[in-house]
Amino acid sequence: MLFLKECKKVLFSLTFVIYCITALAMYFTQFHGDIGAPLEAPAPGRDDYGMTAKEIPELLMPEAVWSLITEYYSGSFTAYPYGFIKHVKLTEKQKARMEEIILEVSGLTMQELEAHEYFKIPEDLTYEHFRELMREADKIIGGGSKYGDNFIVGNFSYVPKTYEDALLEYEQFLYEDKITGAYARLYCDYLGIIVSVLPVFVAAALANRDKKSRMEQLIFARKISSVKLIFTRFFSLTAIMLTPVVITAVIAQIKVNSIYPNGTMDSFALFKYAAFWLVPNIMAASAVGMLITEIASGLLAIFIQGVWWITSISAATSGLTGRIGKFTLIMRHNSLMGYDAFFDRWENIVFNRIFFTVVSILGIALTAFIYEQKRKGVFNVLFKINFQNSKRQSKA
Amino acid sequence: MDNCIEIKNVDKFYGKKQALKNVNLTIHQGMFGLLGRNGAGKTTLMKTLATLHAKKNGEITVCGVPIEHAKEIRGMTGYLPQDFSMYPTMTVQESLDYLGVLSGMDGQLRKERVPLLLKRVNLTESKHKKVKALSGGMKRRLGIAQALLHDPKVLIVDEPTAGLDPEERIRFRNLLSEVAEERIVILSTHIVGDIEAACENIAIMNEGEILWQGTVLELLHSAEGKVFTINIPKEYLSQIKERYIVTGMLAQNKYTTVRMVAENKPDIQGIIPVEPNVEDAYMYCLYSNGCDVSGGDVSCCF
Repeated sequence: MLFLKECKKVLFSLTFVIYCITALAMYFTQFHGDIGAPLEAPAPGRDDYGMTAKEIPELLMPEAVWSLITEYYSGSFTAYPYGFIKHVKLTEKQKARMEEIILEVSGLTMQELEAHEYFKIPEDLTYEHFRELMREADKIIGGGSKYGDNFIVGNFSYVPKTYEDALLEYEQFLYEDKITGAYARLYCDYLGIIVSVLPVFVAAALANRDKKSRMEQLIFARKISSVKLIFTRFFSLTAIMLTPVVITAVIAQIKVNSIYPNGTMDSFALFKYAAFWLVPNIMAASAVGMLITEIASGLLAIFIQGVWWITSISAATSGLTGRIGKFTLIMRHNSLMGYDAFFDRWENIVFNRIFFTVVSILGIALTAFIYEQKRKGVFNVLFKINFQNSKRQSKA
Repeated sequence: MDNCIEIKNVDKFYGKKQALKNVNLTIHQGMFGLLGRNGAGKTTLMKTLATLHAKKNGEITVCGVPIEHAKEIRGMTGYLPQDFSMYPTMTVQESLDYLGVLSGMDGQLRKERVPLLLKRVNLTESKHKKVKALSGGMKRRLGIAQALLHDPKVLIVDEPTAGLDPEERIRFRNLLSEVAEERIVILSTHIVGDIEAACENIAIMNEGEILWQGTVLELLHSAEGKVFTINIPKEYLSQIKERYIVTGMLAQNKYTTVRMVAENKPDIQGIIPVEPNVEDAYMYCLYSNGCDVSGGDVSCCF
């Protein structure tokens, strides 16, 4: 009963209406148009079938070395440890080791590199040893760099697709993804951007509503346990936040059906992907909203989630397809193709989604604990003294 | 001892400031008044009883249950804070139903209790009104309804008549008196009239301490022979105010009738002793306990 009442509260809140409008706008402006015409099987004999990442040592090695030298000279290495962009500056000791690695992979000392425009990969350098050196370079940078195992191929080894490659992708689209699976990934890619940030507004407004309505004390004095109240609010928030997701998934499913009338489809793919991909994002943003609002204020919650969101979006722009780390908040896969690229990261993806789900639930458990302390007047007092003066302390 | 509240040696601090100092009280069924100036510690004590503040030392039991058992205490306590409202877009009925759910009441019980309470506080006709459309008095009555919703053994009401017009105030006091026939009601106020009209037992608080406790009659008795009145020309009024605790004044042309509290009969011609009222007795209590009452509560008439 409480769940339904809390759902109703969210459903009729202004922030939720704004969230819905934004999510629907995102869907119709970014995704709906992509379901325009059915994908056709590639025709043989075309000049261009697009590009694909493929591990070709002859291509990968010089590109990676060139990037390593360029970053070394710029004095900063770009990395995405835990999904966040980071510009790493090396210590003198690390620089010395990096120079040795560059010498090994390019065959030139730093002085020689300054004098030469070109370098050549030493003939005696095996690909296996090269990858080991790249792993070491990645480790020196702190992990999450372009030279790590997860990203090196995707960053440095792109080749034009052959007809066979294109045909394989098309067949994966038809038979592995059963059409809707591919659309579901693209759909989640767009919707993921919205649901990773906007729920924080709804959650913060909801968490602040008791205080704003001067109803906090009435609720504090009720019999209900803080754990039950906070978790019910969290799950109702998450459930209602899925409303525009479900609506747009139904619309997308109908449209995909209409353009592939004879295709064999997974009719639930959009819903399965949405549940697996988007729910943890909604949970994370809602948990941040509820937790930070209880600790400090809704504005701070929105600020923190906003910073996290921007950082995650920035990290994703360098690889819109399949660049999904274990701690990436916003998973990107901005393509109908790339089945292999996506499932190559499957372990990361599963870890990632479970991680955010668990962290969100832990965050809500912490929210419930803080809420209980506030009910007892313990947290309020400590907080006011430490951060805000005792403006709202008891009037007595 | 199961139908009373026992407070023993309770201390409470806000940082370094002591808000409750060794408070000892026993509160039985009926209406109990907690009287004191703003900042005396009344709200702190009320919130402590409602489990919304943690005490530092001492023991509190509510109907035999230690205050530390917050969930159990919350189940048997109704609380009406001084400054409250409800979700403005909810209707009166929806608000009560929502709070009923938070009190763990099942659907059937809520269906029975909500209309009953609305009738009792005379809000049946306003049940579909949104909370934001209610007057101050109606909100207070809704506040009482929510506090009584789960049929608590203890009702804690903090400054319930503040801001109400005289008619609403009288109606509210009467409502509280009715409610107090079945349970313990603790009424905190700085308005002496509320106590006088509704409470039999009272305690007076100042700076976190219980200065005095007993019945209203005992309080009146304690001030017998300590209250005086005199009719003086207006130009002497400032001198009287400087030297005595003035509890009331009535201006009549060039003269003012002054009511004052003093330990011994002042040596002023024309002064006569009078029967104390609760306000006089309250002021005398503060004065006799060494409180600074020079700028204290002074009513405009008597």
